[in-house]
Amino acid sequence: MKTTLLSAVVLALSGLPSAALAAGDAEQGRLRAQTCMGCHGAPGMRNAYPGYRVPKLGGQHTQYLMDALNAYQQRLRSHPTMQAQAADLSDEDIANLAAYFSQLGNRR
Amino acid sequence: MTRNIINRAAALGLATLTGVALAAGDPVAGQQKAQVCASCHGADGISQAPNFPIIAGQYADYIERALKDYRTGERDNAIMKGFATNLSDADIRDLAAWFSTQQGLSAPRITNP
Repeated sequence: MKTTLLSAVVLALSGLPSAALAAGDAEQGRLRAQTCMGCHGAPGMRNAYPGYRVPKLGGQHTQYLMDALNAYQQRLRSHPTMQAQAADLSDEDIANLAAYFSQLGNRR
Repeated sequence: MTRNIINRAAALGLATLTGVALAAGDPVAGQQKAQVCASCHGADGISQAPNFPIIAGQYADYIERALKDYRTGERDNAIMKGFATNLSDADIRDLAAWFSTQQGLSAPRITNP
């Protein structure tokens, strides 16, 4: 019963974002994530300049990760390295990467 | 009160462990300032809406950077600019201290060498 309610809430929420939730393949995402892990898989890794730690992605919402990668790809979000990384990604890659990172971690 | 002391002690311990500069924010003050954030990001930084990022457990210096970039417009987001414009540097440090010390995101580990 509780599960049903939760499912209903999740369903209702997932209807909100404009982008369709084409579920990505987390295993394909893991294979595509080798480059990402150089920075995002190294805990405490610092952005060179300006200096701050590279954000944690483990357990982040799939939709937010997809929005972020799309924004880098379209150069709506500034960060030269991330714009360059996102430039080569297909929509499918983005969905897969988002699926991979969102299911990582031990978020409660 | 006891909880405040514990929170402060925990934050201090974390700051020492991670080598964060001593200009670290106050998580207790941050929690009080975070009430407006809660409507989208959740009271403890676990947002329920999938288009709003989870910020619980995110690195404090990354949260600070994001808020400062929203404030200047370097990071372009109309909603966040509205909130960040009214924040002082001290507010930003406190908010970052609060959300970064909540249980949430994790840094992925490389599992296949």
